[in-house]
Amino acid sequence: MESVTSPVNVLVEGVTDEAVVRRLLEYAGLTCGTVYGKTGKGALLERLPSYNQAARFAPWLVVVDLDQDAECALPFVRSVLSEPTACLHFRVAVRAVESWLLADAERLAAFLGVPVARIPSRCGTRPQAHLRQPGPTKSKRSNPRGRRAPRGKRRPGGSRLHWPVDRVRDDCGTSMATRRRRPAFR
Amino acid sequence: MRFSHILLENWRNFGHVDVPLQNRAFLVGPNASGKSNFLDAFRFLRDVVTSGGGFQKSVMDRGGVSIVRNLAARRYPDVVLQAALEEGGEVVWRYRIAFAQDNQRQPILREEKVWHGDELLLDRPNDDDRADEARLRQTYLEQTFANREFRDIAISFASVHYYHLVPQLVRDPERSIGRQVDPYGGDFLEQIARTDQRTRDSRLHRILAALKVAVPQLSDLKLEKDERGAPHLYSNYEHWRPKGAWQTEADFSDGTLRLMGLLWSLLDGSGPLLLEEPELSLHPGIVCYIPQMMLRVQRGRKCAPRQVLLSTHSSDLLRDEGIAADEVLLFIPSQEGSVVQVGADIAEVRQLLEAGLTAAEVVIPRTQPINVVQLSLF
Repeated sequence: MESVTSPVNVLVEGVTDEAVVRRLLEYAGLTCGTVYGKTGKGALLERLPSYNQAARFAPWLVVVDLDQDAECALPFVRSVLSEPTACLHFRVAVRAVESWLLADAERLAAFLGVPVARIPSRCGTRPQAHLRQPGPTKSKRSNPRGRRAPRGKRRPGGSRLHWPVDRVRDDCGTSMATRRRRPAFR
Repeated sequence: MRFSHILLENWRNFGHVDVPLQNRAFLVGPNASGKSNFLDAFRFLRDVVTSGGGFQKSVMDRGGVSIVRNLAARRYPDVVLQAALEEGGEVVWRYRIAFAQDNQRQPILREEKVWHGDELLLDRPNDDDRADEARLRQTYLEQTFANREFRDIAISFASVHYYHLVPQLVRDPERSIGRQVDPYGGDFLEQIARTDQRTRDSRLHRILAALKVAVPQLSDLKLEKDERGAPHLYSNYEHWRPKGAWQTEADFSDGTLRLMGLLWSLLDGSGPLLLEEPELSLHPGIVCYIPQMMLRVQRGRKCAPRQVLLSTHSSDLLRDEGIAADEVLLFIPSQEGSVVQVGADIAEVRQLLEAGLTAAEVVIPRTQPINVVQLSLF
């Protein structure tokens, strides 16, 4: 197997997942290699056996949303990739990688300009949590401006995702491969 | 004969490039990574040997040595181009040229070498050059009296054809006045008209068959001259009228004209063909068949298949499953100029293609800017 210093190639569904995985790898002290996929879950799963075959020689990280495809991650993993090669690390976001972002309630509230309380918590464990996602227009009517997060902090911007992995790890209600220097990549 | 290898040093935005070339080469890289400059190296070799060209003119037409030379060139500032020509699977000729500029900023040869197989036929500067340095302003290759032993190289270089048809130039006859063998299509109609009628009709027939797939309303295609003698392409478009309607190139869509030009260029000539983004103006459903069309159109040729070097940004074009790892050239920008790598030399690319992924799935992610999503915030 490749040493931990080898860049980790990534296979994801889309640009949001790419940003999250880049941040996770940075947090884990790993270098991100080429990011493949980004053409949706269907195309990713269809091509997964080919990527799995190519992942015999270098570390790969695949992140896929569970969505409503199964009750939990394990049967889903078994159904889409029964025999992952040694270098391929297949991780499932329950139910979607967006729930990991929602776990950073403070920053998200600042970005949207809504109170922190309106950001759903532990949405990874709650089906249909996205139905309760806050809409800025709605909150504008129901909340005085002073009670919202300061507008100056909206839109963190920049090319890098500012996402406190340590803080959100326990809040997102889903399994995240975020421990520093994952032994799996060693 | 076809190019089997190219070596470039300090050429444009390349510090050092040394790559083998297959019968088809797909040049893939981000914007400003040097794909056009790579193709320009072959155009330069052609310009050196064509009549009205020559070494001096070819360099000066490109803005002089200081423009042609890589900005990162420092210790070894000479610009070097070396090409190998292959026939029947064996390298027959190798030609090397190295140049710099003199005190008057005029291009001057540092080296000119020719090998036939492994035998060195020409090695300049020689004693005559050292006695008269003005001789170093011309290559032997461009001089008919001096290239007798290796004229095949000059003939091969002269057969290189660059194509990047601009539909507006084809439609506007005023812009094409005085243009000869214009790569942008200024004299595209004249080129068709100059072709022997039998050959022309045969080619137009084949082109029509291919075009009908893309534009099903087309039912006929012919070239005729107007009362002033200017050639025009006429095509019959079927519609609700019983006999359809005849239209000229002025009415053709950009995509139709570009596809016509692409197919004509594949059929016309036998030397290496340089194509720049042939996918422009074409529907993605058509673009993905360009590699197959390139093969199919050439299948009926009596001579050897034509070498095609093609730059592209198109995922649709690279989706063709027949594209092999050694046919892909990856252009990667770096501080010291762009680097060119053959797909087969990159283990990951090779493994992914062998695993059944297409070149589009493997190569495009490697050439995409990391922060490309930020463009949406512009």
